[in-house]
Amino acid sequence: MRSLTSTVTASLIALGGIVAGTSANAATICFAFQDLETEFWVAGHKAITTTLADQGHTVLERNANEDANKQLEQIKDCIAQGVDGIIVIPQDGESAVTIVKEAQSADVPIAVFNRPPTDTSKGIVVVADNKTIAEQAVDYIVEEALAKAPADKTLNAIIIVGDLGDPNAVGRKDGFYAAIDKHKDRFNVVEVASKWDAATALANLEAAVTANPEVDLLFTSSDFLFPTIRSVFEPRGLWKKPGEDGHVMMAGLDGDKTACQLIKDGYVDATGVQDLYFEADASLKAILAAIDGGEAQPNEVVQDPGFALTQANLGTDEMKMWGCVLLAGK
Amino acid sequence: MPSAASSPSRKWASRLFLSDYFVLYLSLAYVAILAPFLPTLLNPANISNVLSNLWPLLVVATGQTFILATAGIDLSQGAVIAVTSVIGAMLIAVTGNAAVLSNAPIWGVFIGEQGGILAGSIGGIAVAIAIMMLVAILIGLLNGVSVAVFGMPAFMVTLVTMIVIGAVAIYLSLSENISNLPDAFVTLGKGDLVSVYFGAQDESKIPRKIIYSFVTYPMVIAVAVAVAAHYLLNRTVFGRQVVAVGSNKRNAEVSGIPVRRVIVAVFVISAVCAAIGSILYSARLEAGRPTLGAGTFLLDVIGATVIGGTSLFGGKAKIIWTFFGVLFFVLLSNTLNLMNLSAFQVDMVKGAVILAAALLDVLRTRLTRELT
Repeated sequence: MRSLTSTVTASLIALGGIVAGTSANAATICFAFQDLETEFWVAGHKAITTTLADQGHTVLERNANEDANKQLEQIKDCIAQGVDGIIVIPQDGESAVTIVKEAQSADVPIAVFNRPPTDTSKGIVVVADNKTIAEQAVDYIVEEALAKAPADKTLNAIIIVGDLGDPNAVGRKDGFYAAIDKHKDRFNVVEVASKWDAATALANLEAAVTANPEVDLLFTSSDFLFPTIRSVFEPRGLWKKPGEDGHVMMAGLDGDKTACQLIKDGYVDATGVQDLYFEADASLKAILAAIDGGEAQPNEVVQDPGFALTQANLGTDEMKMWGCVLLAGK
Repeated sequence: MPSAASSPSRKWASRLFLSDYFVLYLSLAYVAILAPFLPTLLNPANISNVLSNLWPLLVVATGQTFILATAGIDLSQGAVIAVTSVIGAMLIAVTGNAAVLSNAPIWGVFIGEQGGILAGSIGGIAVAIAIMMLVAILIGLLNGVSVAVFGMPAFMVTLVTMIVIGAVAIYLSLSENISNLPDAFVTLGKGDLVSVYFGAQDESKIPRKIIYSFVTYPMVIAVAVAVAAHYLLNRTVFGRQVVAVGSNKRNAEVSGIPVRRVIVAVFVISAVCAAIGSILYSARLEAGRPTLGAGTFLLDVIGATVIGGTSLFGGKAKIIWTFFGVLFFVLLSNTLNLMNLSAFQVDMVKGAVILAAALLDVLRTRLTRELT
């Protein structure tokens, strides 16, 4: 009987220890995002909130509806609510600097997911190596386009630029030119501004294609604009598969579900892939480590090296792309 | 036998309903009801947040109050905020980012890699602010003259101004933000005059050294604007003329009130208030932003003013009402955040409250007529 009592007592103490351990580790995290307009943000939002909830943490979600002032107010509200840490997808690089400063001055650790501040020396910054990823994707379509074109022909290239207040957009633009500049004398480049907005991209792309109807190559700074590109290209006979007359070599960046389907269908030739799950995991690990370690102002840059999925490596690397994983329903 | 209408309780309710302080009482009741369920609501940190969100909105809503008092509306305030934000920032930015701004028409003219043309110069910030005010005055004049002299509807005029001036703001920087503003300017949006240290807080896992701001530069600026506006609207002949124009334009004309001049003046006041709001918002976000004042901002401004009790039909406006309206509106936004509602739910509730306020306006007007 005594043995049984001791066993039960020991079990209860052990269980108590586990419960206490769990509750001690459970944190309240404020997750503030600027919007959920693209597949990338939706998938990132889901990965972060689900993982935090599964680990027993409390998540306070704040959607700023693309308003930087509202996001700053929401972050201040989160701080007032006594959250243990903040993960933010900022509206742009400038507002990210202000937000990181606000959190760090209140001794709240903060991680910036995917869209880095213009000053990356403060806060945990998880970001893709946009320049290298874009360069890899554009390298592929440049080489393919040149191989198919007569040696003396100058090719027309379009780049759809993102919001240049976002360092991601700047990196992608730099990556595009790094690839194009290897064959500088062979390309005329037209820049189309999108401001990360489909309607803006549609209007500007229509104007660009009307002015320059012959397009050989296109790079979009984000995959979410492929449906917009299709709506402009299809009526003009530019939305074709390889081998069909009028096929435009196309590449994007993100690695979303739509891009995966379009690469499989052949309309798109390559896309730069950000490892969404790596970035979400890195953000969570870094913020939780800072909270557990009592570090109020952690400063760290975590870089996602990414890669380019092309028609050449589709067979082997398809399932490394998050959009293809989602497309396969996994 | 006294009728129901003249019973003491009915009289008391009518007095309360028509009181200048009705929305303040409503705000206090709202806080009293929610405080037990939202323990964070009365935390010093949260009170400090509510105050910091209140001041810039109060300045802009003060300008809108003058317009509504004349039975008009100014939809261009957001665009004035945007364009003056960009203009001010391009003049005083300490450095310019070529990677971001080199294609913008202002690059090399008003701003370069060495910063804005007034960066570092003595009195540069004051000159930039004066230019922001001048631009606002010109926009206000444009609106006012179009409405007062050409007889165009205020809604249509300010809608067009909103679109055109908003486009100019975006064109100037090609929609890019202009950061690296000087510290002295940023202080106007976030600087403290009196802050209180409450000691280390141990609610969160990491103890914090928390210093809460209570008396800030935005507070001083907003209170100064509100007091001046209160004096102008409620203690001067001009203020009485504004209300008279809103009550009945024809009667005001017959009475010899310079209606056109009054209407032009209120649009100028509205634009200047928007420009002062622009200083506070730009300094707080530490950047000139061509998208400031976009989205649902106008809903906040007009909503807060109407909640305060300023009539959409004109002829009834007080700055103290606007202050209480802004306070209630900011409290509402804050508490909805503390309830962890989504952004969409927050906007739905805000819209419903503004609708209720508009309905209250109708009821109060009817009750006032019954009692007089």
